[in-house]
Amino acid sequence: MIRFASKKGETFLIVGMTLLFVIAFCGLALASGGGASDSGGHDQMMNLFYRILNFTLLVIILVVVVKKTSMLRFFGERKDEIKKKLEDLTKARQAAEDRSRELETKLGEFEVQRKEILEQFRAEGAKEKARIIAEARERAAQLISQADHTIEREIQGATERLKQEVVEMAALRAEEIIVKGIKDSDQDHLVNEFIKSVEKLH
Amino acid sequence: MTGSKISKRYAKALLSLGQEDGNYAEYGENLKEFAGLCADNPEFRKVIGNPVFSVDDRKKVLNAVLEKSAFSEYVKNLLRLLLDKNRIGGIEDVSDNYTRLTDEISNIIRADIITARPLKNEAMDKLDAVLAKITSKTVKTNVEEDESLIGGLVVKIGDLVLDGSVRAQLEGLKESLKRGEYN
Repeated sequence: MIRFASKKGETFLIVGMTLLFVIAFCGLALASGGGASDSGGHDQMMNLFYRILNFTLLVIILVVVVKKTSMLRFFGERKDEIKKKLEDLTKARQAAEDRSRELETKLGEFEVQRKEILEQFRAEGAKEKARIIAEARERAAQLISQADHTIEREIQGATERLKQEVVEMAALRAEEIIVKGIKDSDQDHLVNEFIKSVEKLH
Repeated sequence: MTGSKISKRYAKALLSLGQEDGNYAEYGENLKEFAGLCADNPEFRKVIGNPVFSVDDRKKVLNAVLEKSAFSEYVKNLLRLLLDKNRIGGIEDVSDNYTRLTDEISNIIRADIITARPLKNEAMDKLDAVLAKITSKTVKTNVEEDESLIGGLVVKIGDLVLDGSVRAQLEGLKESLKRGEYN
């Protein structure tokens, strides 16, 4: 690529090259029409001259317009911008791809973790289940044992109460019999026995 | 407990005076009589023992009673002192303590005999003799009847209780049966 020291040089080159091409193509056109008459050739030359002039003015106008409106710079900047955008987009795409790969990796890791967590939860759940069942069994055994003890105590208590009642009734009956049957002689006997027992204390 | 200790101190004080003049037995009788009077006349007791009334008023009532009595001066003074100290309500305690102290110095012991049926004189003599023998003291007995004993008797000497009643034997039998000693 040819680089110019200034914009002016670049413009002159473009104009020059344009005129050169026009003249070259006009020469070719005239050479191809060499069989025509001389008067007709003069008109044709003038006509060509006007056309060249017209074209040259058009080119100059175009160059001036292009220059005035900074078209080249606009297109250059636009090109750079598009190039930059393209580079940015490429980078973004690369980054997105990297991110995508990263996310895919992470997703894979998450999947593994999910499976691990699920397995862990399942294992813990199974363990907890086993513990709860064991506790429930133990508690049930305790309750049964307590119930057995309670029943045993209740039976013992009932037996004891029955025994007490029988004894109370027997004692009451014995008292009734003694009260009915006791005589003065029995009292004397009891007193004498008491005196003898007191004497033995001495 | 504290009241009893204080009553004992008053009783001891009066006894020491009685021992000096040799009239301690009479003082004991006076105290018993006054305690009996209080027990028989609760209104009188309420009046002389109630701190709502002034000490002077209560003392007037007490003096009016004491003037008509033949109590010794020491006993009268003791009763006035008890009233001054608001301890006249504990006269029974003082009397009991006094009796206990006089019994001690006279080598007398009191026995409560509770019998199901009246005791014959012969049995009573034997009982006195045997109680005197085991206590080595002169025994003064107080006999009461209680039919709930069914038969036999109970003797109480201080903290010692000798139970020869049919009721006690029945209770013993009942307890033995409950413990299953006759299974």
